[in-house]
Amino acid sequence: MNLPTVAPDVVLETRSLAKHYPVSTGFLKPKLLARALDGVSFHLHVGKTLAVVGESGCGKSTLARQLTMIETPSGGHLLLDGADVTLADAALKKRLRQQVQMVFQNPYASLNPRKKIGLALEEPLAINTDLPKAARAERARAMMARVGLRPEHDARYPHMFSGGQRQRIAIARALMLSPRIVVLDEPVSALDVSIQAQVLNLLMDLQDETRVAYVFISHNLAVVELIADEVLVMYLGKVVERAPKTTLFKAPRHPYTQALLASTPRINATARLQRQVLSGELPSPLAPPSGCAFHKRCPHAQARCRVELPVLEDLGGGQQVACLRVHELG
Amino acid sequence: MALLEVQDLGVEFGAFRAVDNVSLHVDAGEVLGIVGESGSGKSVTALALMGLIDEPGRVHAQRLMFDGRDLQTMPLKERRGLLGRDIAMIFQDPMASLNPCFTVEYQLVETLRLHEGGSRKALRARALELLKQVEIPDAQRRLSAFPHQLSGGMSQRVMVAMAIACNPRLLIADEPTTALDVTIQAQMLALLIKLQRERGMALVLITHDLGVVAEVAQRVLVMYAGQVVETARVPEIFEAPRHPYTEALLSALPEHNIGQRRLRSMGGIVPGAFDRPAGCLLSPRCPYVQPRCRAERPALDGDIGAQARCFYPLIRVPA
Repeated sequence: MNLPTVAPDVVLETRSLAKHYPVSTGFLKPKLLARALDGVSFHLHVGKTLAVVGESGCGKSTLARQLTMIETPSGGHLLLDGADVTLADAALKKRLRQQVQMVFQNPYASLNPRKKIGLALEEPLAINTDLPKAARAERARAMMARVGLRPEHDARYPHMFSGGQRQRIAIARALMLSPRIVVLDEPVSALDVSIQAQVLNLLMDLQDETRVAYVFISHNLAVVELIADEVLVMYLGKVVERAPKTTLFKAPRHPYTQALLASTPRINATARLQRQVLSGELPSPLAPPSGCAFHKRCPHAQARCRVELPVLEDLGGGQQVACLRVHELG
Repeated sequence: MALLEVQDLGVEFGAFRAVDNVSLHVDAGEVLGIVGESGSGKSVTALALMGLIDEPGRVHAQRLMFDGRDLQTMPLKERRGLLGRDIAMIFQDPMASLNPCFTVEYQLVETLRLHEGGSRKALRARALELLKQVEIPDAQRRLSAFPHQLSGGMSQRVMVAMAIACNPRLLIADEPTTALDVTIQAQMLALLIKLQRERGMALVLITHDLGVVAEVAQRVLVMYAGQVVETARVPEIFEAPRHPYTEALLSALPEHNIGQRRLRSMGGIVPGAFDRPAGCLLSPRCPYVQPRCRAERPALDGDIGAQARCFYPLIRVPA
């Protein structure tokens, strides 16, 4: 299949990417389909950060698993460097996988406790390159220095490091193969405020140096406001709003984005938006509501929201919103 | 008179001082926030107040008074009757705090039966009423649910229902919203504050989220490495922090760095059990450190209600 070529500085593109999981409901009962990811499209540019926000269960982590090729999408296209992953053969996939690396949320669980961290950092090189041992160790130590760790600590085990240091190790490991994209799944949510600031600064420094692109998954909007260039708001497997950061935080158009912003606790009393506490919880993806998935919790829902399915609509300035009443609500 | 008065509370695990001479007081109907990073001793303080520190941990205090009664000298049986009834606590992880083997009703009724008693029918009706008070939808059906059938937000609501079952006068909430999503967190805070106002209950809110404290607390206690480093009223503490650590915590928040290229961050980490410095515990990380800070430990100093543990507290120059 011939797909139109993409702009030269786009490193990653998804077109209606979908992932559906069959869920067993019991013996002899029909399997249900959980639409964890349902038609997500976006571009990621070189050296930029795309933030993905939403509540647990909205499909953020499923998206990360598709982007890093841990799982195969059930539908849509995933283009890395212009090559379609969904059509790629094993050799091409192996090459493409080196371009996308991942940092996980919990640095206490994502490092092998029985492996010295120098070896953990060398492992990607040992598997993917034919560098001799000495050169690998050299690169691992150089990377440790770059993420603010002491290179002479390469013979230590993960338990000898604090949470912030471990997250630095996880970041170093992700950067060993000089990837073009790093997917960060809640990289700072397990860290304390002062450590969080150190790690965020490190991520921004590394991006300036290497022009790596980030997909930054987070539920913390304050962090997103700081680090992102573009934001994707997800709800139940779908994108409900996509906009450049400044637009999204200044003029959010989707009621869900507005509610998320209003729910974030703020210190500055004047920055606090009028508190509109969203009632209810995220519905089950096994039985999504009819029409707009958000209508049951939406303060502006009308009869047509229960029936019609909203599609992403371009509002100009790079802002896209999936809401039936977006023009009425202004 | 303060509802809860604690003077020089210390908790030790072997040679390690997890909580070091913490003094605090909570008035009836007041919301006190305790903030600090992991390892600062805020949870251990709460557990010590609830008498939940097990051997080999040791708890000692100059004064530990609740409502004019001395918690340290009262008979153990009396203290156990008090805890859970007049002082209740909610924990961080709702999924881990409920017993997975019993229904919501059983666990709610157990609390009520222990402290208040009554016929089975009356207890059941009271349990249902409690679930409605914490705004659980479809409360009747939820009574017979097991914890695994509830979402995180719902489980935390059940925990709140259990905590308020006996009309406590003091509720200690240890990171009640940390494990929840931001929209559910807002619901939970609104619920806690509503209950606190309706019942005139005192609330001690332990959290690492300064935003949460700014929105709901009247007074704040900032803890660092087991010590109280600053106490102040809200919003004064956010406008003019006096301790360098409080200032650093505030300036490290992404909210305060919008439009800047980098976050202002304090280097280093909270000292662990074996690397406590000789002088002020913050001295290795403090940007304003002086020779005296490295040699001596400062005491909590200042007027009641606005104290800082610092030799050179920050003074805001009037603009």
